[in-house]
Amino acid sequence: MATATPWSPNNFTPAHRDYAKVKFTTWAITWGLFLLAALVPAVLAVTGVGIPLWLVLSPVLLVLAIALPALRIIRRQVAALGYLEREEDFIVRSGVMWRKQVVIPYGRMQYVEVNSGPLERRYGLCQLTLNTAGSAATAHVYGLPEREGQALRERLVAAGEEKML
Amino acid sequence: MSQAEELATGDSAEPWQRVHPASPFVHGWLAIIGLGYIYWQNTDDLSWAERFSGTRLMWTVAGAGIALAVVLIFYFLSWYFTRYKLTSTHVYVNSGMLFRSQKQARIDKVQGIDIAQPLVARLLGLAELRFDVADSSESVLRLSFLRKADAHALRVVILERARGEEPAAAQESGSHDAADRAAAQPQAAADALPLMANVPIGRLIGSMFLQLPVMFGVLACLAMLVLWLAGVDGIIAALVPAALAFGSFYYKQLNQGWNFTASASDTGMRISYGLADTRQHSIPAGRVQAISVTAPFFWRMLGWYKVEVNVLGTKSDDADNLQVLPVGDFESVARIMGILLPDLGVANQREVLATAVSTGCEHGFTGSPERAKPLSPGAWKHQAFLATGTTVISRYGWLARQASFVPHNRVQGMSWGQGPWEQGRKLAGVRLHCAGGNIIGYLHQIDADTAAEFIRAQTRRLVER
Repeated sequence: MATATPWSPNNFTPAHRDYAKVKFTTWAITWGLFLLAALVPAVLAVTGVGIPLWLVLSPVLLVLAIALPALRIIRRQVAALGYLEREEDFIVRSGVMWRKQVVIPYGRMQYVEVNSGPLERRYGLCQLTLNTAGSAATAHVYGLPEREGQALRERLVAAGEEKML
Repeated sequence: MSQAEELATGDSAEPWQRVHPASPFVHGWLAIIGLGYIYWQNTDDLSWAERFSGTRLMWTVAGAGIALAVVLIFYFLSWYFTRYKLTSTHVYVNSGMLFRSQKQARIDKVQGIDIAQPLVARLLGLAELRFDVADSSESVLRLSFLRKADAHALRVVILERARGEEPAAAQESGSHDAADRAAAQPQAAADALPLMANVPIGRLIGSMFLQLPVMFGVLACLAMLVLWLAGVDGIIAALVPAALAFGSFYYKQLNQGWNFTASASDTGMRISYGLADTRQHSIPAGRVQAISVTAPFFWRMLGWYKVEVNVLGTKSDDADNLQVLPVGDFESVARIMGILLPDLGVANQREVLATAVSTGCEHGFTGSPERAKPLSPGAWKHQAFLATGTTVISRYGWLARQASFVPHNRVQGMSWGQGPWEQGRKLAGVRLHCAGGNIIGYLHQIDADTAAEFIRAQTRRLVER
């Protein structure tokens, strides 16, 4: 079984369940477009252009072979998301196969962004990004309910001012 | 801005000065070449005799005269409207006729002044001053061009004012003889700075060819050349871009290492380099965010290293990382580290540094366990880390082995990561992210419990200061 992470996953505040719906819709749109592109040879074959059968089938099968496993792990990926506010720092975790935990001390925080796309707004969700002076040291929190996102931003900004070095 | 304009229009006794009259030419010499080229393109069916005979002679001379006059008028206006002024608190640079720009830098915020000499400026003995200002991150104030001696003199004056001293020579800094008098001193002062490292040209060229990407590039170009000579026609289409891309990469490396000297200054370090364009760059020790010491595969046999740093405020640089030693032995590395990172947080600094840039787990280093061997067979013996009182030292990399030094108070954030193959072997990695470049601290494939323990301990260290 998997080994322990630095901070136990059950302390974390998980992403909202509805975030999985956002991911499902994104999945459907993205892979729907790929599927349409993959269907081009099939359409051509139907309209009478001589295209061998393998060229009709292989793009569709390839798209399905990538899209369906991606669909299967969406729920687990969303369940793996979470954040943890501690005394001095903020921790974000993500990933099922490639597990990751990002630690940002409040004192290093430069600014906090709250964004929400059209899909997220439909489910009343937003995402929060915490930026530091280093471009790689950035924490993303996905699937926050809007009210919670605003509150979290206020708390982070307050903590950042208090701990500013 | 209005306050700045008020200041800029001159309440001070210090007069406005103009830059060197040849400056527009140095900025715009390409335009003259371009005009000549256009002329050449449009008349290439004529012979030289035809261009300068009969009625055509008149047209040629008139055309050249008008083009020259237009260029000169633009040059004159550009020069006339570029002025600078040095007061006791600010440096002002005004430029532009239609689109005016007024820029100023507070002298007490000036962190360092670089002197750059592009090729044409160097031929004419001119130099550009680039002010590295602490509070403005987006644009660097440039003052171009001055006579080289004046540039050095001005640099000394401004740096002394930045430190809060008022040098005698600056009392009349408007006059040229003051600048001339001061000009003799900085040259002497620059020579007096203790030299930390320099790079002999033979070693530089040798080191460049002993890097794997360069060797592959040379081999690929040679292979294509052989194929072309053997009669494969199409290959020339691939050879030319490959040779150009490779050549520019090679030239950049050569330029950054040519005539390289690193010397200690009272605020940190000063480096200068350049083949065609020369640069003088000062690096205040307090602005270094992270340091990496790299030993590419073939350099290891010769005991050569390359030192790069992450610094803030040098956004004028095209490279993310600043090279502070293109190639050097351990002694040079130790001297440079002594300036940039004087407190390594251990008692036996030299021994720890020697271990950090080689392989082994003496002096408290923690290495990757042997179960990391299947995941990175070439590197697992080299991977190790040590957290001292001030710094995290980490070693990683397979062919080019790297040691990175990240002070605790420069870490912006950390990320712990574990891939699917590491999970089964109870391994994990930790990255320490910094600002100002892409050097990171990387604890690669260490024991998962050690990684968890390290990251918990490091979170406490990060907030202590």
